[in-house]
Amino acid sequence: MICCGIGYINRNSGWKLILSRSGGSLSDAAAFEALGRGGIFSYPFKNFARLDAASKMVCYAVALALKDAGESYAAETKRDIALIGTNAEGSLSSDITYFNDYLDGGRKLSRGNLFLYTLPSSPLGEAAIHFGLQGPLYYTMSAESSVADMFESASDLLLEEAPAVLAVANNENEAACFMFKGDGSREGTVASEDSAMIAAIREKVDLMDIAETFLLINEDGRTVK
Amino acid sequence: MEGRRIQGDALGVVAVAGEMLTPFGYGTQACWRGLMEGRTAVSKIERFDTSAFQSENAATVEGLKYHGTDSLVIQMLSRLFAEADAVIPRDALLIAATTKGEIDLLEKKLLAGQRDFNGYGQGLFLQRVASVAGVKDKGMLVSAACSSASAAVARGAAMIRAGRTDCVLVVACDSVTEFVFSGFSSLMALDRVSARPFDADRSGLSLGEAAAWLLLMSKDRALHEGRNVLGEVLGSGMSDDANHMTGPSRSSEGLILALTKAISSAGLSAADIGFISAHGTGTLYNDEMEMRAFRVVFENARPVYSVKGAIGHTMGTAGLIEILIALRALKEKQVPPTVGLQRPDADAEEWVSTAGRELPGRVPAIVTNAGFGGVNAAVVLY
Repeated sequence: MICCGIGYINRNSGWKLILSRSGGSLSDAAAFEALGRGGIFSYPFKNFARLDAASKMVCYAVALALKDAGESYAAETKRDIALIGTNAEGSLSSDITYFNDYLDGGRKLSRGNLFLYTLPSSPLGEAAIHFGLQGPLYYTMSAESSVADMFESASDLLLEEAPAVLAVANNENEAACFMFKGDGSREGTVASEDSAMIAAIREKVDLMDIAETFLLINEDGRTVK
Repeated sequence: MEGRRIQGDALGVVAVAGEMLTPFGYGTQACWRGLMEGRTAVSKIERFDTSAFQSENAATVEGLKYHGTDSLVIQMLSRLFAEADAVIPRDALLIAATTKGEIDLLEKKLLAGQRDFNGYGQGLFLQRVASVAGVKDKGMLVSAACSSASAAVARGAAMIRAGRTDCVLVVACDSVTEFVFSGFSSLMALDRVSARPFDADRSGLSLGEAAAWLLLMSKDRALHEGRNVLGEVLGSGMSDDANHMTGPSRSSEGLILALTKAISSAGLSAADIGFISAHGTGTLYNDEMEMRAFRVVFENARPVYSVKGAIGHTMGTAGLIEILIALRALKEKQVPPTVGLQRPDADAEEWVSTAGRELPGRVPAIVTNAGFGGVNAAVVLY
């Protein structure tokens, strides 16, 4: 599989288009929130302010990856692009927000707008709507190496189900999104080249470190296979 | 998508064992019997106060302790795997499917005003699942809202076809908790009494809880070990509506895509599909969306049923329960009635039934699921 775009964002420092080697800085939390109103999306993101923190992070990263890959998008023009994601805590923050709000209401009033973010796949769902992503969508997490296992999922999806995959990893402060496309050369089962690449990633935990691994591979003149 | 299916018998994926614990009790047999007898397990919830909610009913498993030491899902899984009879190999890769996992443990902490979440989390959940299942693998979690289990089966089958492993244990579980019940009530998604899938007067879903497991193997390994084969996972397809977080697409475009991919990946045509296990939640929009998709993809009517009027909507477990029931239907050459159905919606009249129906023989089946965030999944079985 080929990595054709990587978007990275850190709420405390800034954002990067990794393969394009460009980016911008963020001065404070307000600047992070303001990204949603100007520049990062090709067109206004409906109700962006209502998204939970994880959804904003994921959507920023997806936007950056698509931009890095030179891919245009439109909510009305749906494409069979898969979107998978991982993080360490699932929807824990949103779960706590929802249930505490419910408890504060005397266990009489529950809010649907908070409940709908209590699924680990919800941030991906928000991204799918805005970017018109109609392919497979799921959240995955592993006991040992979530990001590497997510890349394996991406490889298998490219083999069988979708022409392109966006794979997002996020935590409270940062997110990275990787856009993959199949290289069309495989006819058999496991692509050993993919396995070598994924094995190299498996040892890394830092998102920026993982993103820069792909940059090094691309600079060698090899596709990420 | 042309050429997306890797052909070859050696890459075939078969289901060799599986079991469930549902509101009808332990075992696929208990659930099958309940369905065929047209019974519902939806009843008044005793576990928490429902006076503030749309409904006071759900389908729950007897004998579980709420806010005890172990979570509801681990209690269910412990009971389930205690009967597993050493059929699960230790080297099986583990995929767990759930929407909320051990959410009752988090409830308990928040109700007590605790801010320390030690003892709770996805990693611990996976450890506990691996432990009760008796596998060495530390596992991975797949979560795709109410399509979680189908997505997990699709992922496991893909791993086998890709040669990453020759054995995957898919475990699915979800429970009826105040957290989840209050949430669905806030979205006005619940029927006041009991779900009536595809009924002209349907008005919402009923929640349910369950746990289930399914052992997938490559055909080669199953043959080598002399395993009894329940059925083959011929193919699968997943998609997203990319339309709305809670409401399904009015055009059914997403599910049509998932169905089309699944049938194509199985090397079949739509005409080959003998029956459909629908997601069939009983909500106005889901059932309308599904039936529209079925009419577009299949053109001619064929048996469609939903189990959710009987055991409720078991969320992340639903797909696995429905796959196991579909495998049973393949074996019995009959499909169960749609429990809760009284008067079919006009769009569903020739498709669904209040009675069980005989099948002409063993025919391919398709199991469909959908969920929040617009997720869709379809799995073809034979």
